[in-house]
Amino acid sequence: MSAGHEDSGFVPRRFVIAEFATPEGLLAGTTKLREAGHKQLDTHTPMPIHGLEKALGLGRPMIPTIVLGGAIAGALIAYSMIYFCNVIDFPINVGNRPLHGPPANIPITFELAILLAGTSSFFGFFTLARLPRPYHPVFESEAFTRASIDGYFLSVELPAGGNADQVLADVRGAGAVGAELVLESER
Amino acid sequence: MAAPEPAILPNDPLEPIPLIEGKHTDRTINDSLFDHVWRGPGKGWWMLFGCALSALGLLVIAITYTLYKGIGSWGNNIPVGWAFGIINFVWWIGIGHAGTLISAILLLFQQKWRTSINRFAEAMTLFAVICALLFPLLHTGRPWFAAYWLMPYPSVHRIWPQFKSPLTWDVFAVSTYFTISLLFWFLGLVPDLAALRDSSKSPTKRLIYGIFAMGWRGSGRHWAEYKWAYLLLAGLSTPLVLSVHTIVSFDFAVSVLPGWHTTIFPPYFVAGAVFSGFAMVLTWMLPAREFLGLKHVVTPKHLENMAKVMLVTGMMVTYGYVMEHFIAWYSGSEYEYSQFFRVRQHGPLAPIYWLMVTCNCVVPQLFWSKRCRTNLWVLWVASILINVGMWCERFTIVVISLHRDFLPSSWKNYSPTWVDITLFIGTIGLFSTLFLLFLKFVPAVAVTEVKELRHELAHDPTAEPAGETH
Repeated sequence: MSAGHEDSGFVPRRFVIAEFATPEGLLAGTTKLREAGHKQLDTHTPMPIHGLEKALGLGRPMIPTIVLGGAIAGALIAYSMIYFCNVIDFPINVGNRPLHGPPANIPITFELAILLAGTSSFFGFFTLARLPRPYHPVFESEAFTRASIDGYFLSVELPAGGNADQVLADVRGAGAVGAELVLESER
Repeated sequence: MAAPEPAILPNDPLEPIPLIEGKHTDRTINDSLFDHVWRGPGKGWWMLFGCALSALGLLVIAITYTLYKGIGSWGNNIPVGWAFGIINFVWWIGIGHAGTLISAILLLFQQKWRTSINRFAEAMTLFAVICALLFPLLHTGRPWFAAYWLMPYPSVHRIWPQFKSPLTWDVFAVSTYFTISLLFWFLGLVPDLAALRDSSKSPTKRLIYGIFAMGWRGSGRHWAEYKWAYLLLAGLSTPLVLSVHTIVSFDFAVSVLPGWHTTIFPPYFVAGAVFSGFAMVLTWMLPAREFLGLKHVVTPKHLENMAKVMLVTGMMVTYGYVMEHFIAWYSGSEYEYSQFFRVRQHGPLAPIYWLMVTCNCVVPQLFWSKRCRTNLWVLWVASILINVGMWCERFTIVVISLHRDFLPSSWKNYSPTWVDITLFIGTIGLFSTLFLLFLKFVPAVAVTEVKELRHELAHDPTAEPAGETH
């Protein structure tokens, strides 16, 4: 129980942050902790590390599906827009040429498909990642500034009432070179 | 920690030159590549920035004058209804294309050498497209009305853009291109902004970079989606960049004017765009690597590769010229023949044509020689000449074709006014200003990707076993 915080009603989230010396160590440590039954694991590295998805037990990424949806929506919107403008809303008969000229519609259909696919990739990513998010409890750690430079970190969010000492011992046992407990600040 | 082995591509006799020179750790890569951001601007930067700002001032004058007087102040008039406006538009767009090519196409082809130059080239793309967009907007005469004519939106007018016109396609192509390039650039930048945030010394800088880093914390869950988002943006940019210049070339190719009416335009415009874009990257990269301390990541190998790309695309452009002339003769059309063999080669504007041939067909032949590919001065001068040559190509296509069309009674010579020239110099100022600011505030090299590359190279299974350290 998080004693001492009942007054304000704020219960800080608690994270154990562990640093590993190498990406390989981080991979092995992550796998070990996940197999030991720890939930709410995350890694923090300056660059993508091959194999971390598997170590974290992540499912298939969702971005490709989102982008495909964006591309299809873009193409449909573009084509139906042109069709609506040229055939339904304001048909202009020029020398009895067909109002609906598919080849001339290709470039705009293509461009809008790309536009919506690209924007859905970008905004889809930020939505899935729940960014921007200026504050996160892991930033409470002093050492954590190195996570974007040359540090390889693992964070474990403790469940309410979870034993921090146990988790700290576990991450050290998994090969972490440093480990600390951080609390979400109340702001 | 012991020093890591130098990150070279091992066991490849054809690639003996390292992609990252010297021994590095993540920390030293980080520090050396951020160095130019943290260092205060030097004298050289201020001098260049002063020149760029003066040129930008010219742009303000030229735009104000154009808006006040109208586009009658430009030199183009019937029959030369298109001149500097579209020449500069196509030139700038073409310059932008190298950025997309380097960041997207080379990424898909898994060319490791792209990593050191992609950020730089992507920034160039953005700024070049901004410069390009100015011209058609100003050419509408009343840019504040332009959105009404260009964008399909429901209104009481019930008038829609002409969707069968290449100019309307252009609006969609170029605005999509700008948007996607911006998103791609920013997405690639986010991890570097986080690294900047975390290595900044002052709280103000930390706050500013922190805002742009959007709270990035290198989460493994984020990276898993991020890699796909980035790869797919690259995958989308690749057909996009080809389509943009194809559509730009349609502006000409769908007309019946001798000199424009040709099916080779789309591929030859794309090749020309890449050609001029790489030249522009080199023009900026050579001084930048010298003064920003980027020599260890932009190695002679990178420069040589860029020279090779220019050689190849230069030959493609040359092939385009040869085919244009061949078809002009082979078609049996008197007008086509006259345009290519009389007007261009012997007409009043022939010097520009011959300058184009010299700069675009002859100059890149230097790059057959390794000595020229590795001599920085040769590379730099050649890259500037190629930029000049590509500008002359657009001038040849636009003005020389227009000023001598079918009827001699409608022939008229063309000369630009001071407004045209000022506007052009002004966009160079705008480009340079934006670029210099970029070099001062954002790392010119994608630091995260260089770190990734270093690990990849260090972990190459063909590498000799060594104690891996980080």
